[in-house]
Amino acid sequence: MSRFIWLHEDCLRATHPVFAHAPQARAVFIWDDAYMDAMHYGLKRRVFIYETLCDLPVEIYAGDTIDTWRALQNMAGASDIITGKTPNPALKAIMQTLREGLQITTIADAPFVHLDAAKDDAGQLRRFFKYWNKAKKNAFLYDGRP
Amino acid sequence: MSHGEIIAPTGFHARPRYLRHMEKQPTQFADRAALVAHVKALSPLAGDDGVSDTRGGRAAAERLLAAIDPTAYGHSRNYLDGAVTRLSPYIRHAIVNLNEVRNRALEMGDGKALEKFIQELGWRDFWQRIYAQNPDWIWRDIEAYKTGFAPDDYADTLPPDIAAGETESAAMNHFIATLKTTGYLHNHARMYLAAYIVHWRRVTWQAGARFFLAHLLDGDPASNNLSFQWVASTFANKPYFFNLENLQKFAGMDAPCDYHTNKCFGGSYDDLAVKLFPHMEAL
Ligand SMILES: Cc1cc2nc3c(=O)[nH]c(=O)nc-3n(C[C@H](O)[C@H](O)[C@H](O)COP(=O)(O)OP(=O)(O)OC[C@H]3O[C@@H](n4cnc5c(N)ncnc54)[C@H](O)[C@@H]3O)c2cc1C
Repeated sequence: MSRFIWLHEDCLRATHPVFAHAPQARAVFIWDDAYMDAMHYGLKRRVFIYETLCDLPVEIYAGDTIDTWRALQNMAGASDIITGKTPNPALKAIMQTLREGLQITTIADAPFVHLDAAKDDAGQLRRFFKYWNKAKKNAFLYDGRP
Repeated sequence: MSHGEIIAPTGFHARPRYLRHMEKQPTQFADRAALVAHVKALSPLAGDDGVSDTRGGRAAAERLLAAIDPTAYGHSRNYLDGAVTRLSPYIRHAIVNLNEVRNRALEMGDGKALEKFIQELGWRDFWQRIYAQNPDWIWRDIEAYKTGFAPDDYADTLPPDIAAGETESAAMNHFIATLKTTGYLHNHARMYLAAYIVHWRRVTWQAGARFFLAHLLDGDPASNNLSFQWVASTFANKPYFFNLENLQKFAGMDAPCDYHTNKCFGGSYDDLAVKLFPHMEAL
């Protein structure tokens, strides 16, 4: 039974909080070509991502994301995965599938601003200035909070 | 999975698919060309449209972060040679985050001078929050077009002359070539090119968005597609368009903006509105 970090494209930083959350864990990036095709990424982007990975404390495997995690589960005892929070529904769907058999914990990056959720009428964001009128109170403060 | 259809059928393989892949990929290469060759081998369908000079990795991001000039940004950011940061591909993949960029800006000046810069960072935060709340807004029209046209009036595919950078406009061709070779465009150039695609050529914003995503190093479903919807008017109260005078003022130092190679943008805003949106009620 062991804990892994899943570094996906929305958390490619060695100081991302996923690492602090699981300091001893093996970190894995899965080069999922079909996922990148679906995201419309061309060669330029893929080279940029690969170059970024070369600087990170991460093992890269190529393959379908779900299949690769199943293999790590079978071959390396992966049981518990810490990964970056993402708005991307394709990644969220993969996480949901992996939850059959694996424990998945998502960790958010440090926010740009701390918005008061109670006053944020959650789900109602539409025009920028409505957001900005709330955000600007903390946006000019270190770490986005008083 | 939405991308499931691209995966090779498993039946052809004697062993389960995943066992073929459980080999650690290299992270050290003799040179960049070797890395590029490896990425091409891993991604045979990604095409071979060249590689940007912009390097991935935290070190490159830190160099750009050290060089930001938020005060100059405030008054020059709309010009194509303005003091923009080019941090977007790094922010896109969290190689640096908005919090670090804002904190760095705070070390460099006071609130007033930083206002525009920090507000622009806010645009990314805003789009990301919208994306998390409404993931289905990314590819569908959020609202109706306010151009006097119906969605069906727009072509679904990108015309080949746009993809090739061989349009009627020398400025647009310059932007297209820049996008394809560097993977980056200044914000104002993105607005001009998106407006040209959607309003001058009457192509769906989705087709334009796919083209940008294939080339931008920072291509992001939220920032890109929601900006396209803002230009198109499916996520704004009116369409965004421009005239030659505006193009010359903000892009003249970067792109060929003379009248003779950019005739389609000539005229006043009123003239252009009549030409581009003949069925629209007065703006
Ligand atoms: C049609 C269109 C498509 C776009 N597609 C993308 C995209 O795919 N990815 C992307 O990151 N941005 C996109 N943008 C927004 C903006 O153009 C880029 O973020 C910006 O040009 C990146 O250059 P920079 O890093 O030098 O920006 P700077 O002006 O130096 O700004 C610093 C950072 O703030 C953020 N930012 C600034 N302006 C915006 C904005 N208007 N919207 C969102 N974030 C902003 C970016 O993270 C940027 O890196 C698009 C804009 C338009 C009009």
